[in-house]
Amino acid sequence: MTAIAPPVASARRRTKTRSEMRRSGWGRRGPLLPALVFTIIVTQLPFLVTLYYSLESWSLVRPGSQHFTGFSNYVQVFEDSQFRTTALNTVIMTVGTVLIAMLIGVGLALVLDRKFIGRGVVRTLLITPFLIMPVGAALLWKTTMFDPTFGFVNFILRPFGIGHFDWVSSFPLGSVMIEMIWQWTPFMMLLVLAGLQSQPKDIIEAAGCDGARPFAIFRELTLPHLRRYIELGVVLGAIYVVNDFDAVYMMTQGGPGISSANLPFYIYQRAFLGFQVGQAAAMGVVVVVATIIIATFALRLIFTSFSGTEQAA
Amino acid sequence: MATSQSITAQPTATSAAARRRRARRKRHGNSVTWGIVGWVLGIVFFFPVLWMVITSFKTEAGAYTNTPHIIFSPTLSQYRAVFDSGVWPYVANSAFATIVSTLLVLLLATPCAFALSLRPVRKTRDVLFFFISTKMLPVVAAIIPIYIAARDLHMLDNVFTLVILYTAMNLPIAVWMMRSFFLEVPGELLEAAEMDGAPLRRTVVEVILPVVAPGLAATALICCIFSWNEFFFAVNITATKAATMPVFLVGFISSEGLYFAQLAAAATVATLPVVLAGWVAQRQLVRGLSFGAIK
Amino acid sequence: MAEVRYENATCIYPGAERPAVDELALAIRDGEFVVMVGPSGCGKTTALRMLAGLEEIDDGSIRIDGQDMVGVPSRDRDIAMVFQNYALYPSKTVGENMGFALKMQGVSKEERARRVRDAAKLLDLEDFLDRKPRNLSGGQRQRVAMGRAIVREPKVFCMDEPLSNLDAQLRVATRTQIAEMQRRLAVTTVYVTHDQVEAMTMGERVAVMRAGKLQQFASPTELYDHPANVFVAGFIGSPAMNRLDGTLAPGHIKVGEASITPPDAMLRNAQGHGKLVVGVRPEHLSLGHDGEFTLEVELVEDLGSDSYVYGHLAGDKESKIIVRSGREHPKPGEVVKVAVDSTRLHLFDAVTGERVGE
Repeated sequence: MTAIAPPVASARRRTKTRSEMRRSGWGRRGPLLPALVFTIIVTQLPFLVTLYYSLESWSLVRPGSQHFTGFSNYVQVFEDSQFRTTALNTVIMTVGTVLIAMLIGVGLALVLDRKFIGRGVVRTLLITPFLIMPVGAALLWKTTMFDPTFGFVNFILRPFGIGHFDWVSSFPLGSVMIEMIWQWTPFMMLLVLAGLQSQPKDIIEAAGCDGARPFAIFRELTLPHLRRYIELGVVLGAIYVVNDFDAVYMMTQGGPGISSANLPFYIYQRAFLGFQVGQAAAMGVVVVVATIIIATFALRLIFTSFSGTEQAA
Repeated sequence: MATSQSITAQPTATSAAARRRRARRKRHGNSVTWGIVGWVLGIVFFFPVLWMVITSFKTEAGAYTNTPHIIFSPTLSQYRAVFDSGVWPYVANSAFATIVSTLLVLLLATPCAFALSLRPVRKTRDVLFFFISTKMLPVVAAIIPIYIAARDLHMLDNVFTLVILYTAMNLPIAVWMMRSFFLEVPGELLEAAEMDGAPLRRTVVEVILPVVAPGLAATALICCIFSWNEFFFAVNITATKAATMPVFLVGFISSEGLYFAQLAAAATVATLPVVLAGWVAQRQLVRGLSFGAIK
Repeated sequence: MAEVRYENATCIYPGAERPAVDELALAIRDGEFVVMVGPSGCGKTTALRMLAGLEEIDDGSIRIDGQDMVGVPSRDRDIAMVFQNYALYPSKTVGENMGFALKMQGVSKEERARRVRDAAKLLDLEDFLDRKPRNLSGGQRQRVAMGRAIVREPKVFCMDEPLSNLDAQLRVATRTQIAEMQRRLAVTTVYVTHDQVEAMTMGERVAVMRAGKLQQFASPTELYDHPANVFVAGFIGSPAMNRLDGTLAPGHIKVGEASITPPDAMLRNAQGHGKLVVGVRPEHLSLGHDGEFTLEVELVEDLGSDSYVYGHLAGDKESKIIVRSGREHPKPGEVVKVAVDSTRLHLFDAVTGERVGE
C-alpha cells in the first residue's frame, strides 16, 4: 500500500460505478419523496376525483342520481352568466387588492426604513392585520367599522356630511376589497422592507456623490432593485387572494345578489347550497386550469429574476 | 457648472459651527417628521384591532351608541359569556390541529427542501412549481371529494383529518421557505464537515440544522398562523367534536343578529394566541415572510 | 482641480471612546496625488469619507478650493468617489453607470454619450458599454468605477482602496495605470490604502495615520529616510526597520551587550533622552567578521537576488533582527557577526517615540 493518499480533488472526480450512481440518485431523491408523495395523495387524488365528478350530473339532494353526462357541465359553466360575473369579480378583487396592498406596502416600507423613536413598536402595529383570523377580520370590519349606524367609519365621516351609509350593501365588492387590502398590506410591506434593507449602502452613497437628490435615488436605483421583491409579493399575494373564501362568506355572503361573490364562494354556493356537485366540480376545474396558465407565466418571471446568483456590483 | 454654483452660493459669513448645527437640526427634524408619519400610519392601521378590543369590554348597550365612546366603565361580562359558552374544547382542537400539522410539515418539508437545495435534483424547478401549483387549486373545488372521502373513512368531525389537510395546505410554502434558508448555508460548511469525515446524516444534524434553526422557527410560525386561522376546511369537515376556533367565532353569531360587544370579545379571544405569537416572534415572522426575497 | 485642506478635522462616532479622526491637518495642493496609509482602524477611510461628505465633520473643517464643506451634502461637493467594492449601479449598464452623474447634472444625452465614449476608450471599456455589472469580471468592474469618476471631471478624486479586491498581478498593472491617468488628468486625488507599497509607489506625498492621528505627511523618500517616529519607521519599508532598545552612554549607545557609535551631531542632539529606540534598516546592516552585534540565525528568506536573514541577538532571545544579505548567506542555527552602518541610524525617544538626534 502506498503511503501517499491521493488528493481529495481527484478522488471526487473518479467516475462512479453504475450502482453508485443509482444509489446516489436515490440518495438525492429520497428526502424529497415523503413530502412529494404526501402532497400528491392529498391534493391530486381529490383533484382527479373532482375531474371525474365534473363529467357527471349529480345532485346531492337526490342520491343515486349520478350519471355520466360528458362535457355538458362545462358547456353550462361557460354559458352561465353568473359564472362570468363572479369570474370578473374575482379578477377585480384580486388585481385591485394585490396592487393597492402593494402600493400602500411600498409606502409603509419606506417609512419603516427610516430611523425614528418607537420604530419597532410601529412595525408591530403594522404587521398585526396579517395575524388576525380572516373570518375575525371580516366580522370586525362588517360590524364595528362598516355598520351603518354604529360603525366607526361613518362616525369619522359624519363631519363631512355622510352620516348613515350602508357601506357593505352599497359597495359590496369595495368593502370586501378594503378588508382584504387591510389584511394583506403587512405582507407586501415586509417583503418590500426586506428589499429596501438588502440594498447595499455604498450604492446609495455613490449616487449621492454623483449628485443625485433623494427622489432621483429612489427612482433610478431603489425601484429597479425592488422589482423582484414586488414581483414576488404580487404573485404570492395573488395566489392567496384568488382563493380567499372567508372574507366574502363573512361580510356579504356574495350579495347583494352575486355582486360581491368571487369564484370560490360561487362554487361553494353551487356545491353546498345548490347541491349541484357536477357543476361545481366543473367550475373548479376551469378555475384551476385558468390559474395554472396565468401562474405559469408569472412564475417563470420570478424564476428568471431569481435564478442564478446575483453578484453585487 | 451647477454643482460649483451651489458651493459658491453659500454665504461665506456663516460659520462652520452654525452650519454644523443647522445640518444636525435638519437631520433631527427629519427623524421627527418620519416618526410622526410612522406613528400615525401605525395607529391608523392598528385601529380596527384596537377598536375591537375596546368594544369587547363594553356592555351591549354601550357598544350600540351613535357616537363611539372611548371613555366608559369596562366590564368583563362579555368575556364571561364567551368562556361560559364553552370555548376550551375549541381551543384544544385548534391547538392540536395547529401544532401537530406544523410538526408534520417540518418533518416532511425539511428533507424535501434539503434535497432541492443542497443536493440539487434535476427538475428542481418543476418540483417547486408543482408544489406551488397545489395551492392554486381552489379549495372549494376539492372539498367535495375530500368530504366524501372523509365521510366514507369515518374521519368526519375528526381532528386528525384537519391535521392531514393543514399539512397539505402548508407544505408547499414550507418547502419553498425552507429551501431558501438552506440556500443560505455556505457551501464551505458542508465541505469542512465532509473533510472532517462526517457522514451525511450527522453533517445535517450537527452542522446544518443549527444554522438553519431560525429558518425552521420562521417556517413553523407561518404554518401555525395559517393553520390556526383556517376556516373553510374546519367548518365543512368538523361538526361538534373537532371544531376549531374560527368555527367557534362564527358560531357566536346568533340567529337574532350580531351582538357587537360579545362578538368583539369572542374575536379577541379567538385571535389573541396568534397575534401574541406573531408579536413575540416578530423577527421570525419578518424573516419568514421575506423568505423568497432573500433568495 | 482644487486645493484640499483638512483644518483640525475631527470625526467621532457616537458612543466611541476616542475620535476616529483626531484633529487632522493636511494641506493638499491642486493636482497633487496624496495617499493616506495606515493599519486598520487608523481613521484613513473615515478621513476620506469626511472629504466626500459621507461622514460628519464633528469639529474643525475641510475646505475644497477655500470653501468650507461643513454641512454641505455630498451631492454639492463635486467630488467623485471610487469605492472599495466599486458600488456600481446593478440595474444600469456600464454606459448608464458612467453617465449617471452627468444625467443628474442635466447634461444633454449627446454630450453624455460623447463623454462616456471618450472615457470608455481611455479605459478599454468600449465593448462593454451595454453590459450590466453582474456580467463583468472584477477587473472590468474596477475600470467602470474609475470611468464613472473620470467622466465627471470633478474637483477631487477620492479613492477608497480601489485595488484591494484585485488579484496581485492585476493590482500592479492597475496601479501604474491609475498613477499615469492621474498625472494626465491633473485632478487632485486623495487615495486610501493599507498597503504601504502602493503608498510609496503612487503618492507624491503620503500621510501616515494611526489611531486617528496623523503621524507624518511627507514624500515617500522623506518618510523612508527620515521617519518622524517609531511607528512610521516600522510601518514604512519592507521588511520593516529593525528597532532595538538602547541606552545613552557617554560617547556611545549601548544596545544589549553591544556598543554603537553614531555621528557626534546625532549623539549631541540625543542628550537628555536616556532611553532610546535605535532604528536601522536591514540594508544598513552587514554580515561580516567584525561587527558590533552577534546574531543567532533563525530563518533565511532567499529571494534570488538577495536574501533576508532573520535572527536574534546572542543572549536576548526576544530580540528580532533582520539583515539583508546577498546570494551567499548563512544557514539557520549559525552564529554570525553583524556590523552597523552608524551613519544610517535613526534614534527615537523610547518614551514618546519621537525622532531625536537631528
